[in-house]
Amino acid sequence: MDEQARAILQRILRKLPSKKTPSTLRAWGCLSAEQLEDLDYTQPKWLLLENLISKCEESGLRLKDVTKLEMVYHIENPNQGKWHAFKLTEPEDEAVSVDFTQFKEMFVAHLEEVVQHVSIRMKKQEDGAVWIRMAWGDNLTRPNHLKPTYAVHYLQTPYVFILNLSAKHKPFLYQALVLSSRHTSINEAHLSGRSLTAMRDLLMKQYQQVFPNQERTLKERNAPPSHPNIEKEHAESAERTHQMACEAFGDGTVPKLETAVYKLETRYRGSSNDTLSDRDELFRGVVKFSSPNLLESLRHCVSTGMAEAPVTPLLSSITQKGRNYFVIAEKAPGATSQTPAR
Amino acid sequence: MALLAPYTKIPEPNTATILLVESEEKFQSRLADAIVQRENDAIVNVRLARRLPLPVENSETRPRVDLVVFIVNLLSEHSLQVVENSLSHLRSDFFLGKVCFMVTDARCGALTQERLLSVKKLAASHRCPLICAEHQTEDGVAMAASRLLTLLKVSAGLSPVATTALYLSTLTRCTVPSELDED
Repeated sequence: MDEQARAILQRILRKLPSKKTPSTLRAWGCLSAEQLEDLDYTQPKWLLLENLISKCEESGLRLKDVTKLEMVYHIENPNQGKWHAFKLTEPEDEAVSVDFTQFKEMFVAHLEEVVQHVSIRMKKQEDGAVWIRMAWGDNLTRPNHLKPTYAVHYLQTPYVFILNLSAKHKPFLYQALVLSSRHTSINEAHLSGRSLTAMRDLLMKQYQQVFPNQERTLKERNAPPSHPNIEKEHAESAERTHQMACEAFGDGTVPKLETAVYKLETRYRGSSNDTLSDRDELFRGVVKFSSPNLLESLRHCVSTGMAEAPVTPLLSSITQKGRNYFVIAEKAPGATSQTPAR
Repeated sequence: MALLAPYTKIPEPNTATILLVESEEKFQSRLADAIVQRENDAIVNVRLARRLPLPVENSETRPRVDLVVFIVNLLSEHSLQVVENSLSHLRSDFFLGKVCFMVTDARCGALTQERLLSVKKLAASHRCPLICAEHQTEDGVAMAASRLLTLLKVSAGLSPVATTALYLSTLTRCTVPSELDED
């Protein structure tokens, strides 16, 4: 077994929690049932790795099969690394009718045309997601399987999520995606995060949304007081603020985003500081919000009164527009309003 | 601006009303449950609020408030600011024994000590008592509830011992050691 294959196996085994290892290896499907039975998962990982390698060598498995295992691992654990979202724009008429086989053929053809040595593996999941694994090489070197790029595209939607793409290979991948899905161009969606499922849910609006005028059946409503002698003074206004918070950020479990970044390219307008205000140069700053679950924290801030309700459009754009990177620019020279631009 | 006044309404017989003001609403509800469960003789009404001023809509149905308790979570700057802003919505005769400050998390580190000092100064300047409460255990909540009940019964005039709220608050009011004492 060559070095790259060993290294990949070692990496996967290290990252897999012991409880999930048996099921992942079974899902791989490259080892026989007796071989799987034979493996002792209670051994220390380095020992298990050696056993696994010897079993693979017994079955004559090669790098190709190990990369299949890596893909299985990523499909089952999609919420790690840093995913970036992209949107395909201007679909041609045939875009709606592109099916998996067509997409696959065209993608592989386009990519292999421009990159000399590239190793591509594609898999379609039941939920309509197409997972693509690419290992890049160039004219002189073989593909480097230790730094693969993963892309996930949902057919019939314009969304693509990409992991680990270097700047050198960006134009090739973009072109292949655009041509094989029958669109005209691809743009950054300005959404990035650790959790692929969260980003997908946010963009495709697959979370519990709340609309104004909806019947008030929100899940997290404050429970009515337990005793008849206890009464809440602010019950009505609290409900109204909670309703507004849920309209902006969703109800119940919300997609798990970690950060929101606002890049300021505006002029300083505060009146307190003479040196900073009244200058023509832009006051550049970056405001970053981070949290283990950003949308839930923001919703809580609004409903408990820490942030003002109604929710400012700067914050509610995160869910309304499905992005978490904003550039706030000056609207026009000397104008006093600020708009979230680009 | 309508101020909350202590003596504008007629009290009910054998009833006391306590108003708990807390911006985060977490400790409030547990404290309220503990208070109503402990008291068996008199009827105790508990009103929960996030801040003052209270909504005008409720002023008709609201009974006379006998004791206002401001709950400050020392780990949150916001909670202290809300209390500072709310103080101006009480009429000044409330401060003659009918206001009390309660703080939680007073033991957690250096940051809380600064805030505790500011709350102490606030309480001392308004001549009100300051109670430190422990909100994470059942016993702590029960203890805070029983201390508040003692204060409440005096302010509502239900105490068996003949004493007034003003007298009690003079005994229990918070004092801040002056700069000269600190060495």
